[in-house]
Amino acid sequence: MKHPQLNRFPLRATALTAVLLPLFLTACGGGSGSGADPAPTGPQNIAIEFAAKAGNVPVQCGSKIAGLGTGNIGAELRDLRFYVSNVALINDKGEAVPLTLQANDWQSKEVALVDLEDATGTCAEAGTAGMNKQILGTVPGGTYKGVQMTIGVPSSVNHSDYAVAAKPLDIQAMGWSWQAGRKFAKIEINPDGGVARPAPAAAGKSFFVHLGSTGCTGNPVTGETVSCARSDRMDFKFDSFDATKQKVVLDIAQLFKGSDVSKDEGGAVGCMSGATDPECPAIFNALKIDLASGQSVSQGAGQAVFRTEAK
Amino acid sequence: MQRPHSPLRMAAWVVGASLVGALALASCGGGGTSVSDTSGHGASWTWSLPSFFPTPKVPATNPMTAEKVELGRFLFYDRRLSGNGTQACASCHLQSKAFTDGLPTAIGSTGESHPRNAQGLANVAYNATLTWANPSLVTLEKQMETPLFGNDPIEMGVNDANKQEILARLAADTGYPARFAKAFPGQGDAINWANVIHAIAAFQRSLVSGNSKYDQYLRGAVRLSAGEERGMNLFFGEKAECFHCHSSFNFNDQIVHAGSRLVETPFHNTGLYNIGSTGAFPEPNRGVFELTHLAKDMGMFRAPSLRNVEVTGPYMHDGSIATLEDVLAFYAAGGRNITSGPHAGDGRANPNKNDFITQIDLNAQEQADIVAFLKTLTDHEFLTNPRFADPFAAQQTP
Repeated sequence: MKHPQLNRFPLRATALTAVLLPLFLTACGGGSGSGADPAPTGPQNIAIEFAAKAGNVPVQCGSKIAGLGTGNIGAELRDLRFYVSNVALINDKGEAVPLTLQANDWQSKEVALVDLEDATGTCAEAGTAGMNKQILGTVPGGTYKGVQMTIGVPSSVNHSDYAVAAKPLDIQAMGWSWQAGRKFAKIEINPDGGVARPAPAAAGKSFFVHLGSTGCTGNPVTGETVSCARSDRMDFKFDSFDATKQKVVLDIAQLFKGSDVSKDEGGAVGCMSGATDPECPAIFNALKIDLASGQSVSQGAGQAVFRTEAK
Repeated sequence: MQRPHSPLRMAAWVVGASLVGALALASCGGGGTSVSDTSGHGASWTWSLPSFFPTPKVPATNPMTAEKVELGRFLFYDRRLSGNGTQACASCHLQSKAFTDGLPTAIGSTGESHPRNAQGLANVAYNATLTWANPSLVTLEKQMETPLFGNDPIEMGVNDANKQEILARLAADTGYPARFAKAFPGQGDAINWANVIHAIAAFQRSLVSGNSKYDQYLRGAVRLSAGEERGMNLFFGEKAECFHCHSSFNFNDQIVHAGSRLVETPFHNTGLYNIGSTGAFPEPNRGVFELTHLAKDMGMFRAPSLRNVEVTGPYMHDGSIATLEDVLAFYAAGGRNITSGPHAGDGRANPNKNDFITQIDLNAQEQADIVAFLKTLTDHEFLTNPRFADPFAAQQTP
């Protein structure tokens, strides 16, 4: 009788309730250190906060990021946005309970866009003024102790037309038109001294990380994009996470830990998910995605790009 | 007849069929409006096709109407559609050149060079995939996102910062509000990107070319010269093998039409490059490999239609062959041997080359005959048809 209150509202009722309830951030309950609290009975509003850091230093547009990659290179942030889907809280039985995303400017039922740039400084080259540092949703009443999610757009909506897509898939910069889909993550830096490229190419300004499904094929009869050879979605999971007290930190230093951001050996500048791009093995290793197959490795076990921190 | 859903939403449903209700909040200007989506179902559009052309495939979400095609023609020729107002679709797709631009590779609105040669648009409604080498782009509506919104390279230069401003330019025009209203009746404010794309796609589908000398010959209206006829027999014969990839009424091998059930989308390596004898093509022009990164896709490109090929040079995906005569010499040799420079390598020995591309014993006369035949594929009516021409030029010289 640990969870007699576990709510089993039909999904639609839950979603409706979520819309009608005023927004307040209730405890997600049951996290370490709060075991004495009774588990809430009704649907719970959950806000998962995100932040960007390089090591322990906050990352933002317009301020220098120090010591990135194998060459300890300084850099300016150019863009930092990513789509999140399949968000679920893990209850005290170890079950993943889907977070029902609220619909707003940054979220649909399927996917949320986290935007950690504000178009100031070097980000003016690529970004937008608006930021979104949190994912909002509801879970049924219960006791939750962890969280899992996917960096990516579900294939059911990934190939929708940019010009007709609902928010947040209407952000053009996150469109990846030649791959007929979306950039799941768009993380770009301008390293000090630029990015050297093989002759005769001139040095580039930016080191790009664009994550997205590749090798996609369409069906000319139906007009639909039907399959992609490489999914390239990143999964990760925190066994212990209390959304009221903790946030999810994306650590740029960990993303570029194995990369030399001062040079590019070929392919796209940086890593645009090219399976043969020389810069992709290090980036995909950090993301715990198998570059050859595009599959998440062990649900992201061992990844350090995302971590939890106290708010 | 009013229906409680917009074509925007219908399009989204087709793309993401499993998302029942999820995309109810269309965000790009079409939300909250209702529309008559029966406006175009054959009511005001009749295809004018040669008897041996199948009926083109038209997406259910974007039916053809004369009004939509006419709106699309204006938009296709309108420089205001680019971010900086300097370039229209037509800037790289000139009617007189069968909607190519005469350059080896195209140049975008901000001056960036495109790595590839601008493709012709004649009979583009029948293309199963679009662009030179992309298995994922199968509709004109989807393909158009790349030239409009792409930023590597920038072509039209539409982005999150200027996309509303560009629509405002159209809304401020004296003619567009009425043209949009006619093309998309019942929508209220119909000036949005979805409708821009739908209208241009409808115009593109109307670009049918089927009245070349060869078509007239097939109808029994004209005779071919002796050289043209010799060239035709070589083209369709097992000696030159041209027809294997340039088959069908449209002289290519990727065709979709209204009655298609299964469509093959082959891509071909013709031995243009073989850098360092590794089979490699130069970046970022490695064909389907750029998308799949599979070795088997290195140097694989879509065989373009040869209709109007006389006026679509320079040739190949990178415009690296200047004339039709040079193209014939290239195929007669079974590939291209580049002896110096960064791309040095013998393309004739490319390990990924199509088996039909082998050295063929074509003498100079035979090559000239094939070129003569290819020139019978020029549809002069298509190249000058006022229905495909720049409407702004017509306005300036009434």
